[in-house]
Amino acid sequence: MGALTSFQSIALIVAAVVVAATLAAAASHAVDWRTAFAWAALWIVAAIAILRPSITVAIAHFLGIGRGADLVFYCGILGMLLGFFAVYVRMKRLESQITRLVRSIAIRDAQERE
Amino acid sequence: MAGEWVVVPAYNEATVIGSVVADLRTKIGKVVVVDDCSGDGTVDAARSAGAIVLKHVINRGQGAALQTGLDYALRHGATAIVTFDADGQHSAEDLPVLLAPVYEHRADFVLGSRFTGGSDVPALRRLTLKLAIIFTRLTSGLDVTDAHNGLRAFSRRGAQAIHIRLDRMAHASEIMDQIRASGLPYVEVPVRVRYTEYARRKGQRGVHAIRVAFDYLFGRWVR
Repeated sequence: MGALTSFQSIALIVAAVVVAATLAAAASHAVDWRTAFAWAALWIVAAIAILRPSITVAIAHFLGIGRGADLVFYCGILGMLLGFFAVYVRMKRLESQITRLVRSIAIRDAQERE
Repeated sequence: MAGEWVVVPAYNEATVIGSVVADLRTKIGKVVVVDDCSGDGTVDAARSAGAIVLKHVINRGQGAALQTGLDYALRHGATAIVTFDADGQHSAEDLPVLLAPVYEHRADFVLGSRFTGGSDVPALRRLTLKLAIIFTRLTSGLDVTDAHNGLRAFSRRGAQAIHIRLDRMAHASEIMDQIRASGLPYVEVPVRVRYTEYARRKGQRGVHAIRVAFDYLFGRWVR
């Protein structure tokens, strides 16, 4: 492996900072450990893919995709869609919790007027 | 009878809610208006006309307001509950027709139909509603002529079987699903729907149907 390109150096620093910050957040109980490990793992995988692009190329070829960058692109889109979906479901759940709260306030207030 | 309640979900209906409530009060003692966080004088108008007013502190949609009213009426020992729109399109004259099947123990759900009652439904509205009925038949399997009429009557047992989760407008289809799932008897009766200038202006536009269908299908799929 030759000298790192400037993109690789920057990406590596960013990944290291994010992983460190995530683990620090988990240590101070701001996020739970499972979430922290999953998030850190994602960044570590990204860092590996940036340091050794040949790995993504090999996986891409195995899957019948031409370029490693395309594989990363497809995975990114898929991950974002899943993320949107999870947020949407959570939002719906939150809305229904708000409704139940509003309903119980409405009923309680009316009963106090009786 | 003592246990009869009317539930009227209302959002910004200050100009008409007073006369709607007064009209209902000539037929039924217990009128509950569920104010969905209106910005006008809906609460005062309803209250001075003699309604019990429940106030949503945040706007949650018509489906949510209906369920709040049903919960309140059930909690106060309602034996029969009618749901009625606040915009003046329904007629209090139809209440006895709606309640009769409940008291005769013929049905736990009585659904008002504007298509068998000789209402003068505007052409575009008729088309949208007919498409909506086809949708309802496909998804819930109920054989009805008007699935999206807010004028309905429930027996106590019927009301207890309804749990509206879709807060906005998709609750009409959701109610149909739950009627079918409950296995309790339902019947349709002809009612009049008046398409006043006011009701038409406040009513749903046809294009909203797509949004409603999405809410409904998504709600069925995700809990």
